Amino acid sequence: MSSATAKTDRNAPHETFDAIVIGAGHNGLTAAATLARKGKRVCVIERNEQVGGMMTDTLLAPGVMAPRMAHLLYNLNATVARELGLGGRIPLRTATLPTVALSPEGAHVVIRGGQAERVDGSAHQQADVFAALHRRLLRFAELLARLANQTPPKLAGGLTNPDTLSELSVLARLGLDLKLMGRKEMQEFLRITLSNVHDLLVDELGDGPLAGAMAADAVRGAFAGPRSPGTVFALMYRLGSPKPPGTASARATGREGGISRSGGGSADPVLPLDGMGAVAEAFARAATDAGAEIRCGQGVAKVLTDTEDRVNGVALEDGSTLLATTILSSAGPLQTMEMTGPAHFDIEAVRRFRNLRHKGTTAKVNLLLSDTPTFTDLPPELAAGRLLIAPSSAYVERAFNPAKYNEMPTAPVIEMVLPGLSQGSSGKDAAKPDQQVLSAIINFVPPSPKKGWRASERRALLKVLLSTLEAYAPGISKLVTASEVIAPDDIAAETGAPGGHWHHLEMGLDQILTLRPTNGTAHYAFGPQGLYLCAASAHPGGDITGAPGRNSALQALKTGSA
Amino acid sequence: MSRSDTFDAIIAGAGHNGLTTACYLARAGLRVLVVEKNDWIGGAAVSRSLYDGWTYSNCSYVCSLLRREIVRDLELPRFGLQVIPYEAGATFTEDGDYFAYYSDHDALVREIGRHNPNDVDAYERFSQTVIRQCRFIRPFLLRNAPDPTSLKPRDIDELLYLVGKANDLGSRELGETLRFWTISIGDFLDEHFDNDLMKAHLAGSGIIGTGLGVYSPGTAYVLLHHYMGDVDGAIGAWGFARGGMGSITKAMGASLEEAGGQIVVGSGVDQFIVRDGRVKGVALESGDTYFAPIVASNMDVKRTFLKHVERSALPGDFVTAVERFKTRGSSGKINIALDAVPDFPAAPEGASFMRGDMHCSTSLGELERAYDDWKDGRWSADPYFDMLIPSQIDPTLAPPGKHMMTVFVQYAPYDLENGQGNRNAENWTEAQRKAFADCVFDKIEQGAPNFRQHVLHAEVRSPFELENEVGLTEGNIFQGELTFDQLLFNRPVPGYAQYSTPIGGLYLVGSSAHPGGGVMGAPGANAAREILRGLGKAHAMPVYVE
Repeated sequence: MSSATAKTDRNAPHETFDAIVIGAGHNGLTAAATLARKGKRVCVIERNEQVGGMMTDTLLAPGVMAPRMAHLLYNLNATVARELGLGGRIPLRTATLPTVALSPEGAHVVIRGGQAERVDGSAHQQADVFAALHRRLLRFAELLARLANQTPPKLAGGLTNPDTLSELSVLARLGLDLKLMGRKEMQEFLRITLSNVHDLLVDELGDGPLAGAMAADAVRGAFAGPRSPGTVFALMYRLGSPKPPGTASARATGREGGISRSGGGSADPVLPLDGMGAVAEAFARAATDAGAEIRCGQGVAKVLTDTEDRVNGVALEDGSTLLATTILSSAGPLQTMEMTGPAHFDIEAVRRFRNLRHKGTTAKVNLLLSDTPTFTDLPPELAAGRLLIAPSSAYVERAFNPAKYNEMPTAPVIEMVLPGLSQGSSGKDAAKPDQQVLSAIINFVPPSPKKGWRASERRALLKVLLSTLEAYAPGISKLVTASEVIAPDDIAAETGAPGGHWHHLEMGLDQILTLRPTNGTAHYAFGPQGLYLCAASAHPGGDITGAPGRNSALQALKTGSA
Repeated sequence: MSRSDTFDAIIAGAGHNGLTTACYLARAGLRVLVVEKNDWIGGAAVSRSLYDGWTYSNCSYVCSLLRREIVRDLELPRFGLQVIPYEAGATFTEDGDYFAYYSDHDALVREIGRHNPNDVDAYERFSQTVIRQCRFIRPFLLRNAPDPTSLKPRDIDELLYLVGKANDLGSRELGETLRFWTISIGDFLDEHFDNDLMKAHLAGSGIIGTGLGVYSPGTAYVLLHHYMGDVDGAIGAWGFARGGMGSITKAMGASLEEAGGQIVVGSGVDQFIVRDGRVKGVALESGDTYFAPIVASNMDVKRTFLKHVERSALPGDFVTAVERFKTRGSSGKINIALDAVPDFPAAPEGASFMRGDMHCSTSLGELERAYDDWKDGRWSADPYFDMLIPSQIDPTLAPPGKHMMTVFVQYAPYDLENGQGNRNAENWTEAQRKAFADCVFDKIEQGAPNFRQHVLHAEVRSPFELENEVGLTEGNIFQGELTFDQLLFNRPVPGYAQYSTPIGGLYLVGSSAHPGGGVMGAPGANAAREILRGLGKAHAMPVYVE
């Protein structure tokens, strides 16, 4: 007998939907849109007052908005973008940014379209090697990206089972394409995919800002340094999804559906010109246009089940009940399990959920600057790019050290953007045209400092950020007129991401594909019948991709009652 | 007057793998010569007298991984090999307690429960997983690693064997296996146990000899490398070779000589003689030249090809791949003559763990910090060590009443940083070695406060000394790091993971080849099978079925 059976209230008949999605992050919204497009009646329940999850804007100062958590798009799944009409039917103004790997000696490197050059436009001495490495990683990444748009193989009933074989056919095609790359390339793929990014980069490029930039991209959001095995895979994951259609680079290279037709592509990051909130609105519009309903300001307290161990609805925080036989949850597996009740899960699964790795090492700091900062030896127009402080792979590895012991960083890795410098960017305060927002993602911060993330820890982090920035932009501290620090515990509290982890769940080799989130629950459905995981803790994982949302919805359509 | 002679096969290097290959070839009827640069045989499995009256196993120091098939085939017990298992190990705390790890299950369960009752059940799950993984991997050790990029029937056969074995596991266990191979030992232990001390004790096996930290993915697999052995069939047990580790190679040497093989010591290979892409023999440093159509190198892949084969004979991308093969040394070793067994006040009278492996690292964080030092080119300020006093079980190692102690230290870099950003093996000066030993002794004294006063002599070895004496590049004890990108079909170099090399007739038989390091003998035996197959004598090698 279930402990949380939906009570039938004779006075007020409950609203009934085909499916309820818990959480209006981009994956929840993608799931809702995907289901609604198939004619399902869908309701998205969002605890916060606004949709978007990690993809929102924040009021940094009166009249000044800043990206609250994520600040760039670089991995939006092309299939999701096409199906939802993002950047097409639903306009999304974006600009492709170059990456500037800052060097403390002023020998900055600009990475654009998979090419490395000096800030004055002259060729970097490693330009050819870098271009070749980048092309190869992109090619490998595109192969792996094919696994992103479908449920991982189940392998139930052994390798001779017909269902398993059909699941494996995608893997077989992948194997075939690997073979078609030629023996040398296949060998290289098999050698480096599980390897650590530090050795790969140092072997190919030597250590410096170029290697540092790639290393930083490989470990952003992770509880891993570049020397950790598995970080090449993480880098490929990041490079794997193509650009949203409508952006310049996507048009230029004709990439679509995770496959590059031209074999080119760049993986340059994309800045939403109207803020992250506009991206969230676009996802939401895709869902509502398809007929889904979105209700904000009220969270789900309980997932309800019937006596047959099937879900049949949710109880909201205000005590009201909504009925549906399909529930998709954007929350983490542990949180979803707790909402549903551990009795509905087998004991091994419960133990695995409790042991999931999701230590958040990423903090976000927004600064309001009274004037545009000057970076030493950097032409002003390049300050509009994605600026990286990761001067070497060894630096990135060292930056990871303190986080392992829950200590404050002394020399962190920083990814920053000054969105106001990009042409066409909206949201500027007309009264103060020189004012700039600096949005910085900081790695690695302690997941849970000994005394928690108190005001003093936040102040300390801000101080570390400013002293690090001073080395590259002397005098920048004096320009700061407002600031906010968003620590892992804020991310956890505001978005429900377990541990405040940037990807909900560590993207380690032991937590990907058929092991994401755990061995035995990698097929979206888990626990009682009709319950699905639909966000970053499910395959293929984190970043603003939309792929887990889409895959889970398709899985629910295929196997569930939706 | 330099000598010259012709053989059927020459083995360069008399380590345990080279001797294993030599024995199998000699037993198949080949005329075999082993050449060795040192004045003694054994490579890193040696017993040496460096202090009057004492015998040190001054490189490898305990035995478990040596494949029993090889022990049997080469009749090593008949040539004097005797392995004595030890029954327990322990980690001492600073506050006078210890965690003991007994091979007796009931005693172990009581000990785990003494520290934390919750960990008892978890231990059952832990050991089940580890044993299951050991059982899964063991049959592969004496087989070739299939090349997934190859369409040769043998590779496909081997791949199908692997797929079959994986299929036998079933869906759940297959997932568990993938997970076990990719997780870090720290995370794996954290999800099982609460007690830090126990975790620190068990984690050591995941990092020994490895340039990875306890929280680096893939270290659970390295743990397997230390658990998949056995002593007399007791899986996971470790023991001492009576007379030191040199007894293993001494027995192999005797087995070889009885089979008609010859060993020449005292001069290493200067050059592998290559003509038209085929090996013709070896030119020794002494000026002697020996010819054979088959030459097997027991040296690691870097030393073999970057030092002793003419560059022009090798494909350029092969050379690049060899240069990129990672052999970073990470371990130091201190061999000590003691005038008595030091008193460990925490240990009860006659505690069995005193005769086994002892440690003083009490948390995973401490182990991870030890790794951070190594990454930056420093030896660990707070090191992990594995110390044993084998003379308590094997009286042949020290004079009556006196004792020999071996301390394996993790981590010590090969290219030591000198404090000014310069990283170079030459920075391992006498003063640095002394400071390194002092640091280790300080920590030993956490468990045995008067330890230093018992020390009569200590031989301190950094990875640099190991390279100089044994020839292991950068002092890597496994002839190459055991990371995903350097295992199976990638070991040592993609496309050459089956013992053959770009030079016809030249084979790699050391731990640089699959399945890698440890005093296991498997690369040597597998390589012998490849060589004999090439000669149409495959029937001379037994086929192992497990």
